[in-house]
Amino acid sequence: MEDPIKTKSLWKDYSSELISNKNKSLVEILKQIPLLSKLSKRELKIISKFAFERTFEPNEFVFKTGQPGAAMFIIKEGEVKIVKQNSDEDYVEIARLGKGDIFGELALLDSSPRSAGALVSEPTTAIAIFREDLNKLLETHPEIGGNIMMHLAIITGKRLKDTTAQVIRMENEMNELKRKLNEK
Amino acid sequence: MRNSERLNRSRIFYFSLFTFFIVVFGYLIVALQDLVLPVLMGTLAAYISLPGINYLRRKGIPKAFAIIILLGAFSFLVFVLGQKIVSAIPSDKEALELRIQLQYKLNENFLAFLGKKDFESEGNIVDNLIGDELDQMFESINSFLALNKSEVAEFQSYIDNALVSKRILFFYNDNLKHPILPAHEIKEITQTDGGMFPMVSATKSTSRIAIFLNAISTWIILPFVFIFILIDEGEIKNFFLGIVPNRYFEMAFTTFANVDKAIGNYLRGTLLQSALVGITIFLGLLFIGFKIQAAILIGIVAGISNAIPFLGPVIGLGTGILYAIIVEGIDPILPFLPDNPLLGVLVVVLTAQFLDNAVFQPLVLGKAVNLHPLVVVIGVTGGSIIAGFWGMLLAIPTIVIFKVVISTLYKQAKEYYIIY
Repeated sequence: MEDPIKTKSLWKDYSSELISNKNKSLVEILKQIPLLSKLSKRELKIISKFAFERTFEPNEFVFKTGQPGAAMFIIKEGEVKIVKQNSDEDYVEIARLGKGDIFGELALLDSSPRSAGALVSEPTTAIAIFREDLNKLLETHPEIGGNIMMHLAIITGKRLKDTTAQVIRMENEMNELKRKLNEK
Repeated sequence: MRNSERLNRSRIFYFSLFTFFIVVFGYLIVALQDLVLPVLMGTLAAYISLPGINYLRRKGIPKAFAIIILLGAFSFLVFVLGQKIVSAIPSDKEALELRIQLQYKLNENFLAFLGKKDFESEGNIVDNLIGDELDQMFESINSFLALNKSEVAEFQSYIDNALVSKRILFFYNDNLKHPILPAHEIKEITQTDGGMFPMVSATKSTSRIAIFLNAISTWIILPFVFIFILIDEGEIKNFFLGIVPNRYFEMAFTTFANVDKAIGNYLRGTLLQSALVGITIFLGLLFIGFKIQAAILIGIVAGISNAIPFLGPVIGLGTGILYAIIVEGIDPILPFLPDNPLLGVLVVVLTAQFLDNAVFQPLVLGKAVNLHPLVVVIGVTGGSIIAGFWGMLLAIPTIVIFKVVISTLYKQAKEYYIIY
């Protein structure tokens, strides 16, 4: 018999929420993210408890450049452009992200200002995971928190290497251009 | 155009929702004011227990068990302390005897202080200088302590049934020599005719049962609030954050987290500090030879009231002194401690205050929420006007919560470019 006033909902939620469809799909999404891919389903279920789902409309900012970073976002559905303002105050697209991509992940390390903005280009559903919750997770479940932090360090390190390689490549290209100019 | 219409509709919707919420919340606060304190206390207890729960979870204990363990520990503590306190609470007869004893001892100490044999004789220099003023003050204290007509009749029945010790009888007769009329005697005369005291006490006990049952029915909510707040896995926070528009989402979360951290640290710090002061006073009183029940009771009163700035230590000292006046001949555990109870209480309370300022406060760093002394004084006085002792006790935490919420909200709103 259905419980019309849902008197048991709290207990039901407490015991069965972990296996509900909504949570299952969230766990599946979290599983696809490289940052969390090494975590078990049980660990992902724990993380899914403090994952906030938000919907955004086109041309809405998830966050703007210079704002203090507090959360990392995972795109569940939709598309987000990472933008930076040029000297004319126009937004220049740096990257375009889609389903399963993450952005703003450095906010999990500290609250330093966002280096770029995140502008929604089509109706988007994103999942937010906050630094404060991750810090609490480090207290209650150090093995999960530690795992995330380690992967965050690996991803950041990889991006740093990529950026360094890109800078070297650009420098080589500039030197090549300079050499060609001098030859002319 | 369509967007601006939608924006307007959203604004009207949120404003109506907010107004509705405020009105309903305000009405509920007024209508259910008896529940406010138990709910507040349950929330505070849960808040304070959170690090304990986290600690147990780190040790691999599931949350449900951790809550049961904490609840069990709390219940045990309340049961043991409650038993000690209940055994220390005097019966009707003992209460009358205590008042008689207190009145006698107060007068005895007062006369000794003024160097007088009785109220009519000449005293020392203090008596010459401010004797009249002190006399007036003592008369009001005496009139507060003196037994009224129905109490005299009640006490007389104890005397007639030989239930009163010689010592108390001596104090009682001596008090009668001092011509002080109880302040509320006239009121009492209109309420009771001669010889009606059994009926009066019967009514009193019925109302006591009613008060007790009423208190039980409202305070029963406390453990439920405590359990459900601790069980909560962020659902309460998620609900409130869910209704925040995207633009304010990150800011709202950060404000929530910062306020949570600051208030949690403050409350846990205050509790730890009060507990340390209470334990110090309890141990100190035990060392100077006070009975364990009295030491626990005074320790609890001093510990709780220590949360009230400025006035707290005075309340603790006052409670200790009141007991010291009544108690006769203490036997200190350590030989170098004073055997004068008044001096002993003074030494214990001063030591506790010294330790509080020099050791406990620097240890409890989280409590460092700066409030101007004037705000503290006005807050404590205002709290006492609004809700008596509880108002005094909760005034500063309430002000601290408001201060932290407003300052954090302001800082975050600026950082997120919401205000200039």
